[in-house]
Amino acid sequence: MVVVQGDSMSEENVVDHLIDKQKPAAAPVKSAVDKFQLLPEFLKVRGLVKQHLDSFNYFINTGIKKIVRANDRIVSTVDPSLYLRFTDVRIGKPSMVVDAISEQITPHMCRLSDTTYAAPILVNIEYISGSHGRKEKMIKNDVVIGRMPIMLRSCCCVLYGKNEAELARLGECPLDPGGYFVVKGTEKVILIQEQLSKNRIIIDNDKKGNINASVTSSTEATKSKTVILMEKEKMYLCLNQFAKKIPIMVVMKAMGMESDQEVVQMVGRDPRYSALLLPSIEECANHGVYTQQQALEYLEAMVKRSTYSSSSAEKQENRALAILRDVFIANVPVRKNNFRPKCIYVAVMLRRMMEAILNKDAMDDKDYVGNKRLELSGQLISLLFEDFRFDFSQYIVRDSITNGLERALSTGNWDVKRFRMNRKGVTQVLARKVSGPRALQPSQWGMLCPCDTPEGEACGLVKNLALMTHVTTDEEESPLISLCKCLGVEDLELLSGEELHTPNSFLVIFNGLILGKHRRPQLRRAGKIGEFVSVFVNEKQRAVYIASDGGRVCRPLVIADKGVSRIKEHHMRELMDGARTFDDFLHEGLIEYLDVNEENNALIALYEWEATPETTHIEIEPFTILGVVAGLIPYPHHNQSPRNTYQCAMGKQAMGNIAYNQASFMSLVSIIRNVLFLTSDLPVIAVRPYGLATLPFASRLDMISLGLVRNATVAVMSYSGYDIEDAIVMNKASLDRGFGRCIVLKKYTCTNQKYENGASDRILRPQKNEERERVLDDDGLAAPGEIIRHGDIYINKESPIETRGPLKSAAALADVKYRPCAQIFKGTEGESCVVDRVALCSDKNNNLCIKYKIRHTRRPEVGDKFSSRHGQKGVCGTIIQQEDFPFSERGICPDLIMNPHGFPSRMTVGKMIELLGGKAGVSCGRFHYGSAFGEPSGHADRVEAISETLVKHGFSYNGKDFIYSGITGCPLQAYIFMGPIYYQKLKHMVLDKMHARGSGPRVMLTRQPTDGRARNGGLRVGEMEKDCLVAYGTSMLLYERLMVSSDQFEAQVCRACGLLGYYNQKLKAAMCTTCKNGDKVSTMKLPYACKLLIQELQSMNIVPRLKLAEA
Amino acid sequence: MKDDYLKFELRETDASVANALRRVMIAEVPTIAIDLVEIEVNSSVLNDEFIAHRLGLIPLTSERAMEMRFSRDCDACDGDGQCEYCSVEFHLRAKCVTDQTLDVTSKDLYSSDHAVIPVDFSDPSDPNEPSDNTETQRGVIIVKLRRGQELRLRAIARKGIGKDHAKWSPAATVTFMYEPEIHINEDLMETLTLEEKLSWIESSPTRVFDIDKVTQQVVVVDPEAYTYDDEVIKKAEAMGKRGLIDIRAKEDSFIFTVESTGAVKASQLFLNAIEILKQKLDAVRLSDDTVEADDQFGELGVHMRGG
Repeated sequence: MVVVQGDSMSEENVVDHLIDKQKPAAAPVKSAVDKFQLLPEFLKVRGLVKQHLDSFNYFINTGIKKIVRANDRIVSTVDPSLYLRFTDVRIGKPSMVVDAISEQITPHMCRLSDTTYAAPILVNIEYISGSHGRKEKMIKNDVVIGRMPIMLRSCCCVLYGKNEAELARLGECPLDPGGYFVVKGTEKVILIQEQLSKNRIIIDNDKKGNINASVTSSTEATKSKTVILMEKEKMYLCLNQFAKKIPIMVVMKAMGMESDQEVVQMVGRDPRYSALLLPSIEECANHGVYTQQQALEYLEAMVKRSTYSSSSAEKQENRALAILRDVFIANVPVRKNNFRPKCIYVAVMLRRMMEAILNKDAMDDKDYVGNKRLELSGQLISLLFEDFRFDFSQYIVRDSITNGLERALSTGNWDVKRFRMNRKGVTQVLARKVSGPRALQPSQWGMLCPCDTPEGEACGLVKNLALMTHVTTDEEESPLISLCKCLGVEDLELLSGEELHTPNSFLVIFNGLILGKHRRPQLRRAGKIGEFVSVFVNEKQRAVYIASDGGRVCRPLVIADKGVSRIKEHHMRELMDGARTFDDFLHEGLIEYLDVNEENNALIALYEWEATPETTHIEIEPFTILGVVAGLIPYPHHNQSPRNTYQCAMGKQAMGNIAYNQASFMSLVSIIRNVLFLTSDLPVIAVRPYGLATLPFASRLDMISLGLVRNATVAVMSYSGYDIEDAIVMNKASLDRGFGRCIVLKKYTCTNQKYENGASDRILRPQKNEERERVLDDDGLAAPGEIIRHGDIYINKESPIETRGPLKSAAALADVKYRPCAQIFKGTEGESCVVDRVALCSDKNNNLCIKYKIRHTRRPEVGDKFSSRHGQKGVCGTIIQQEDFPFSERGICPDLIMNPHGFPSRMTVGKMIELLGGKAGVSCGRFHYGSAFGEPSGHADRVEAISETLVKHGFSYNGKDFIYSGITGCPLQAYIFMGPIYYQKLKHMVLDKMHARGSGPRVMLTRQPTDGRARNGGLRVGEMEKDCLVAYGTSMLLYERLMVSSDQFEAQVCRACGLLGYYNQKLKAAMCTTCKNGDKVSTMKLPYACKLLIQELQSMNIVPRLKLAEA
Repeated sequence: MKDDYLKFELRETDASVANALRRVMIAEVPTIAIDLVEIEVNSSVLNDEFIAHRLGLIPLTSERAMEMRFSRDCDACDGDGQCEYCSVEFHLRAKCVTDQTLDVTSKDLYSSDHAVIPVDFSDPSDPNEPSDNTETQRGVIIVKLRRGQELRLRAIARKGIGKDHAKWSPAATVTFMYEPEIHINEDLMETLTLEEKLSWIESSPTRVFDIDKVTQQVVVVDPEAYTYDDEVIKKAEAMGKRGLIDIRAKEDSFIFTVESTGAVKASQLFLNAIEILKQKLDAVRLSDDTVEADDQFGELGVHMRGG
């Protein structure tokens, strides 16, 4: 509903001067400022991976120092006066040590030489050295303790702050956003991990339906989980360190709150609360706990005896208190044994629980995005580093940090010993049965993409950030705390329990810490504090939450005053002229970042004209709720929702160009094979380009090449019968002219091994008389540009026969001491590839390493997979000559034909509009746009406008054409819906998949055919196939398939003992091993696997005996 | 009629003949196109196959094509396709020595036969075109070279037909339509007001009808522009004037549009097509009598079998 705000839409908003020259013809009545341009600008300053970079930078600059400071002392257990102390830590420049010389490295060098892009971790240490009583304090600076993999484009990276030309000189693509690591030559990304927020009270139901309040505390020193739960109307504390549940009142008493009255006051004077608390108080009294001393004694009895407890008895005494101090809600600091803050914290927890009991609405939702924190690469690495540091302090092992970090990054196994955490594949899937976490949360709006999630197992658990989402990093707390104090927050210490919950005051909670209370809370609009600090008022809980911690998701919104946007036309004009950047908008308070909690205090209008006086914020563009991949779908809001999800999955399989420097990639993105396109267009129907340059970014991020293919003229009709089940019919002439061609690059590596006796592999000059040595150069390697076929030798290598034994000089070996070990190219038979590049380098053992990149240009063939941008995939069913293709009287002949049955059940109306818009686009020569929800703001062309354009250019308004059959020349009965649609070629190609075999290799153990295409394996007649043949009664066929064609074996069986014998070649007679004669031995055929089974059973003292009957 | 554009009417025949003609023009009129590329040096950004593919698609003037032999049944060179009867050799040498990118175009291809050269797209008859328009004068761009990059290759062009590969197809577009027969029911039309007439005329996406300024009568200005979209008929029905107009396709009259790639003049393309069609028909007639006729007709026999 469009609410036009009378005079608030001031004159300056009336747009006669359009921002974009290519405004769609039928743009709606423009009364709002076009804020679209903010998006590319936003991406320019922030990029798509800013959150990763920020997080990593924070870790490098601050986090690592904090960790080292937290445990910086290693004290000798023998002599406590001997110690080693780390005074400072920092990360150096990325470099590599070759032959004791440190050498600067660039990411591209690492990619080529399969090394890790890492920088040394330098520490300044201070230690006591000395023996025989003479102790000296020594200081040593810049000691290397390990090497830290460096995130590309982070502040430690050599690429940091470089311009385009400098990047090109370093062999780097300027479009590459960084945010990933290069580990052993492969590019690795750390996926964001989602977690429940730390240090926050979460009220929840447990499995038994009991209400509990839990806090996961996390500080630099400790991490713990505290649960208070309500069972049978009594409240208990659950803590790992205590063997049993502990009545909460005992805990309160142990912390010095001896008076029940005070506890009740702290929780609140409301009689309902006191009534709920009463059973707990009574229970405490039943246990006979009245004083702090009694309570501590009670707790002492409950403390779990640790197995290796050897500390003195005196220490034992204070164990309970120590636990309460250090483990129990560890995030609340205890200074000078003042437990009061903790008591208040517990009281607040109790109060929240009781509220939840009285009113179910007060329960927290674990899936609520505001209660989630996203752990980024910086946090994850710091977790690892912390663990290694722990290791380090115990036994100084060289390279343990280097190797540990490298291993974690390359395998994705995040083992943190200290917290017994073990995360396999950083994309680990939660095994929660409930649908809750998988469902779309309303609070995800604008933060996480609603479309982009995988299907199946990980559905809804693996999420993608929306376009404008930012994930915060930690911010310094103390200035904020003092700022709060200045703004009139009353300190907790000064308040009595009674005052805590006076009706007109609000508790101020800062990063899960109760700071104090404030009498008149106001919302802020500060320019002074950090842009990502969130302030949020919860009216129900009468609390103000202030958050500056890392991992919150937030997004920018335009601020509105009484419903009038702060961004005016002139601001946007300045932006267009380059006089203003996105950051200026932030600094001037036109735009601010809101996190999920803050959004609850805001009234956000979708469009400017929908704003009412209560509106506080206005969305920048509605389609920013989608992620990067979903944002590429034209008209997604017209599609059935799962189709968009399918496209998100499929868009990642499409081929395209990955980067400017793709030609120089030796090792390619993590998929061994990189596929790219010879020819690609811009789509005629584009989603408004939010900087098309950003596309490869996305691809690099997800380690896929997100590329799009071509605008194909598609006729929606049935043709030839080879188009059933979503198959498409392609025009041969289009393929001849280059439609859908792609290059497949494969990498082959080979190392020249050195052996322990000093001998090494060698590469020989070819004899040049064999056909398969055709491609070899005189140096024994294939030359770039040479056409290589299946079975050709590409490295003429020989290995020494003797590789062990004493050292010999390599030159002394005679030719006869080598055996040929030529590398033979195994491609597809009948296809010819080209040697694209040959690179020689040395690997980490200083062996010669030869890398080949072999290129294969492919044109589409029957069975290749294609897809439009609407989740409509299909294989090429047949390829038909152009003259047989239908044509219109204008001479338009489609590139491909799609079966109309693809439409009714899929309901991809967006595809139809894309076709229509594409047709209008090519006929009028202007790009049309199809951004999500873009119609009201003019970023998507309306169908009415498109139809008008079509009619103007002599087409029917509905996109249908009068078509003649190419075979008969007669007109077709129906009008055919025809126009251009952007088609992607997906990476699944028949050439990589087709497989059949007659006879071939067998498995050594069972003598059955091998399995799988890679081993030229057989096709299994499985259990179900067997059942079919059994049911059909074709016993001979079964016999042939399962025995003759598989592992038939002729065995000698002794009729006397029933055991297997053997055939004695000398005597030309069969013998029985057990009976020691050959009298009663018969020959029979049985599967080798069966013979193997019999022998295996015999080896474990089971005697299977065969009883033979005459057949 | 222009060199590369031809529009004509075909009368007193049926769709099968018209379509046969169309099909032959697209797929069976021979032209010459680069078929084999030997690359000596290629340091450009595009890889060898890519350049070879692009070279293949460059149209070459193919007036000679009808007389030339297919390399596969050329007697002079036992099928290796490198003799003057069946092939034309091209050379390309380009190296960029300046800081500006160098466009390597079809003009850089040097032919061994002056009759077979890359098609010149500059139109000397067009007075609007400035003579120094490098865009059209430079021909088809093959690759762009940066400083220091070089491309040196030898290419062999051969005769072929569009059926084998689209690069040998001489026709960019060949299409035909039935000639429409338009009858306006003048009596009914007279019942319409001028506005109604105008809106009715507007309803056709193409300009088929117009209003005579003098008589204010609807007249057919361009029946060939009619695209059989039925829009006017629907409009008439919507206006409640069923039978206002009657449009029928003349079953025996076709309007052909031929656009050539430039390899062969459009008119010549049409004549060649008729020639080939005739040969094919002869072959069919003869093969009725003798099976061996196939062999006698060489290339056409191949067409018959292949097609």
